[in-house]
Amino acid sequence: MKKEKAKKNSEDFLAKEAKEEAAQAPAYTLDIPEDEIWTYQIEGLHAPRIGKPIKNMRQKKILVVVILLIAIGLAIFFSIRAVHTVPFKYAVLEDGSSELVRFSNPGDVTTLTIDRTEDDAKTPVTALHEFAFNCDEKLTEIRLGKNVVSVEPTSFYSCWALQTIRVDPDNPAYCDLDGVLYTKDLTRVVCYPIDHDKYLRNSRGYGDLKDAAGKPVEELWGPTEVYDEAFYEKYNADTRTYVLPPSVTVIGEMAFNYANLTDLYLPEGLREIETLGLFKCTSLEHIFTCTHPAGLEALADLSVIQKDAYPSLPEGLEIIGSDALTGNQALTYLFVPASVTKIGHHAFWDTCYKEDGEIKGVSEICIALEEEAFRAQTTLGDHWRPQISTGLFPKNIAVRYGAEREG
Amino acid sequence: MEENKSGFGGKVKGLLREIRSHWNTPAPGKYVPYKEYKDVIVSVGSNYAGSKTLEYIAFAASCYLMMYHYKLPYLTFSVINIINMPLGYVWTLIWWFVCDNLGFLPKKTERKLVITYVSMVVIGLSLIIFDITRFFDQSGWFVTYMNSLEGISCASAFKILGTHTFFNGYVGLRNIFWRKKLIPKFGRYKYCLYSDVVPKCIMVVLIGWLPFYNIPDVVTRVWVANLLFAVYNMFGFGEQMEAAAMNISPNVRERILVRSYPIKISHIFNSILAIILPVFIGMLRYKWADINMFRYVIPITFITFATLTIVFAGRVKERIPQPPLEKKVQINFWDGMFGVMGNKYKWINTVYQLLDSLGNGMLGITTILYLYTFRLSGLAYSLIVALISFAGTPPDLFAPYFLKRFKYKHLMIFFQLSRAIGNGIIVLAILFCGENLTLCGTLCVVVLFLMEVCKTVPVTAQHDMDVRINDYQMYLSGERLENFSGVFGWFTGPITSFVGLIIPLLLLKYGFNSNWDILFVDASRIKIIVIPMIIDIVGYVLMAIPFFFWDYTDDKQFKVIEVLRRREEVTRKQLEEEQNSAAAQETQETEEGAAPVPVSCTQEVTE
Repeated sequence: MKKEKAKKNSEDFLAKEAKEEAAQAPAYTLDIPEDEIWTYQIEGLHAPRIGKPIKNMRQKKILVVVILLIAIGLAIFFSIRAVHTVPFKYAVLEDGSSELVRFSNPGDVTTLTIDRTEDDAKTPVTALHEFAFNCDEKLTEIRLGKNVVSVEPTSFYSCWALQTIRVDPDNPAYCDLDGVLYTKDLTRVVCYPIDHDKYLRNSRGYGDLKDAAGKPVEELWGPTEVYDEAFYEKYNADTRTYVLPPSVTVIGEMAFNYANLTDLYLPEGLREIETLGLFKCTSLEHIFTCTHPAGLEALADLSVIQKDAYPSLPEGLEIIGSDALTGNQALTYLFVPASVTKIGHHAFWDTCYKEDGEIKGVSEICIALEEEAFRAQTTLGDHWRPQISTGLFPKNIAVRYGAEREG
Repeated sequence: MEENKSGFGGKVKGLLREIRSHWNTPAPGKYVPYKEYKDVIVSVGSNYAGSKTLEYIAFAASCYLMMYHYKLPYLTFSVINIINMPLGYVWTLIWWFVCDNLGFLPKKTERKLVITYVSMVVIGLSLIIFDITRFFDQSGWFVTYMNSLEGISCASAFKILGTHTFFNGYVGLRNIFWRKKLIPKFGRYKYCLYSDVVPKCIMVVLIGWLPFYNIPDVVTRVWVANLLFAVYNMFGFGEQMEAAAMNISPNVRERILVRSYPIKISHIFNSILAIILPVFIGMLRYKWADINMFRYVIPITFITFATLTIVFAGRVKERIPQPPLEKKVQINFWDGMFGVMGNKYKWINTVYQLLDSLGNGMLGITTILYLYTFRLSGLAYSLIVALISFAGTPPDLFAPYFLKRFKYKHLMIFFQLSRAIGNGIIVLAILFCGENLTLCGTLCVVVLFLMEVCKTVPVTAQHDMDVRINDYQMYLSGERLENFSGVFGWFTGPITSFVGLIIPLLLLKYGFNSNWDILFVDASRIKIIVIPMIIDIVGYVLMAIPFFFWDYTDDKQFKVIEVLRRREEVTRKQLEEEQNSAAAQETQETEEGAAPVPVSCTQEVTE
């Protein structure tokens, strides 16, 4: 008995299955005569239709063709409807004015004025919807009329060619400083156009740069055979350096995303850098805080500004939004002042990288407060520190608490 | 305890004995020797891993090459589809007809098709090379309208149309040529690996190295990229080995065994790759956005797996019970159309797929969760992906048991409902604890893991259901008509194209376009993930309904296979008799001095 059990146990499932199948096999053995192989019908299933004429073939063919043509026609129609874009799409607001929901560039529109609706030219456009110009590659200048009083932070998202945003002087809510959009009271910077440096190059005499072979080049990424270190420094100061006015207290959401800047001077009165405020400014090497209390006219004189500037984020800064400085790998020094009370998630994400075994970019974050005080005072989002890829698990970069600001 | 041990040990020994004794010859009632299981593991595994590697390269918004380097507007892909759509229907009809006849056509028909295809190649090339819009009124409505389309101009639209025509002409010619040449030797599923593997390898290398993404003008970049990818897509490297291995035996139980063990084990190649590849990519300076990923990592990986596939592919046999090619049933166009329409189970599949289209246009939600919500990269990313994909392995080992114990329809209903519940939990986690990345992440990973566990057995069942539907079609029509089945997609086209564009338009509204960085914005990312997922949940619940009508039992399947086997047996016998008599006649005529009369298979088929 035991032997039998042991033998049964020793049979693997493959062998068992083979046995089961062998037992079932006769049930499925069908005795089909040779001349019925194409017509034999299995119980519960339809009979084969090989070589059999179909009843009412002509009518059925016509029916199928008609149905297919309608179906194909509808499919094409719906698909075309879905991608058909009108250049301007508006929404009517409660007060009867219009909001520009989406602008789809009909071809080569490079300058656009937003003032009144395009169709009747009567209704004023008072608002720009989020993503109104999403991923436009042609627009170089947008002019906001006097009626536009509401602009979403994402309205100009990914406008890769946008150089300037001009605002009607009579606009009560916004203004521009040489093509950069601010709120009227100059307390918030709303949008630094992505290609603003191109505008600065052209307006400040760098429009005809050439390489060693005499071929025109659009911009410089370092000293060349033609342009020495001193020229490059001046070039950067003129086209890739930006000084925020002293009145600014907030860097708006996405305000400087993808800005081609090497140096950015923040005012000491700055209180908040909102979400993605300085997102992916990949050339940004230095952030300075400017203590110079001068008016707007002094902004152009960098030598005056530099005298009263200290490196990194300003004393008095309270909030650093999520992903505020993400992707700024050219940055090397980051000091978090004692006034900071909130750091959003991934605020300094991807600001460092590994090259030839060395950590480049922000390799350490300096924090003014001691660790205990910092943790007690500051609300920290997940992964606020950048991480460095080690090939295995990523590692948080070091933090130096109680650090003093570099001279 | 002791008895258990000996019982287990005995079972292992028994299994080894069984494998040893049937290593070279199949067990009674079976068709596949265990040696072939080993070949299935390597060939299917390499083919699967290679084709998965190619998923990184696509002319679609979700491809990293498009996303980070070509930067094409999201809507442009839809516009290109529409430009290609009307003619695409015509080419597809011809394609079905050729494929479901396995490339063996009556001589006259073949000649007509070759002329059509050659003309298409010439017209296509002409449209690409010459700018025909110079004959149009440049200020007319047509040119103005075409110029207004995103990423397209009137001139480039004709180049895109030319690319489509050239692509279909050239692929059509190759299709007839290679099918006739290779199907008799390698079978209907894996033949194209042999014809396509070398050019595919070359194109994979070129895709990374050709710097067309540097073209500054987006319109030119769009049509050039479209042309480049058309040439790339001329050569396939799909999961043909898996299709071949699923038809490795007429014995349905043996098919399930092969599907559950060697095929499943073979996926380990891809699991390992899924761990290693992101680690290598994580080492690159710009990670997923680094062009070296397409220059080195992808080509080296692909070429390695492609080589392994080809080396082992020849050792795996397709064993569909079917008449010899000389005796195969000739399918004319209307036979094909009405043939598939008479298959009830194809209608069930159609309704199921129609409801599935509710999720069309959705982005890879898990990818977004991993890369943008949890910011995973390197090994951490690999391990999570591997963990989730491994989740399906243990239940797969028990798939034969589940498939035997539960009805297919119950498994499929369970599958849809489990997906709806799982996605529902993820949506709730993102909405109510999205701020806490650790808690939300853990919840999502656990749910994804459980969903994967629940998915495996039904997916195996679904694969087997597809094979069974084709067996049934062969019983009905004498051919599997896998290509003519595409007509169901035409019937449902209006609904799928309408529904399928809802999600892309919603995504566009939330800011999703050619720049994926929008996913770093919390508010946009949550909407981009959650809203399409809710639509998907509704789809999953509805998708359970068609399976209530599935009544194709094991009993019916066994009988269908028996009929097919009998047809093969009889037709083979008839062929042999005919060949013998032809040989006898030939000998007689030679003796009498008359010229021999060759009997081509197509003539035979025509008769």
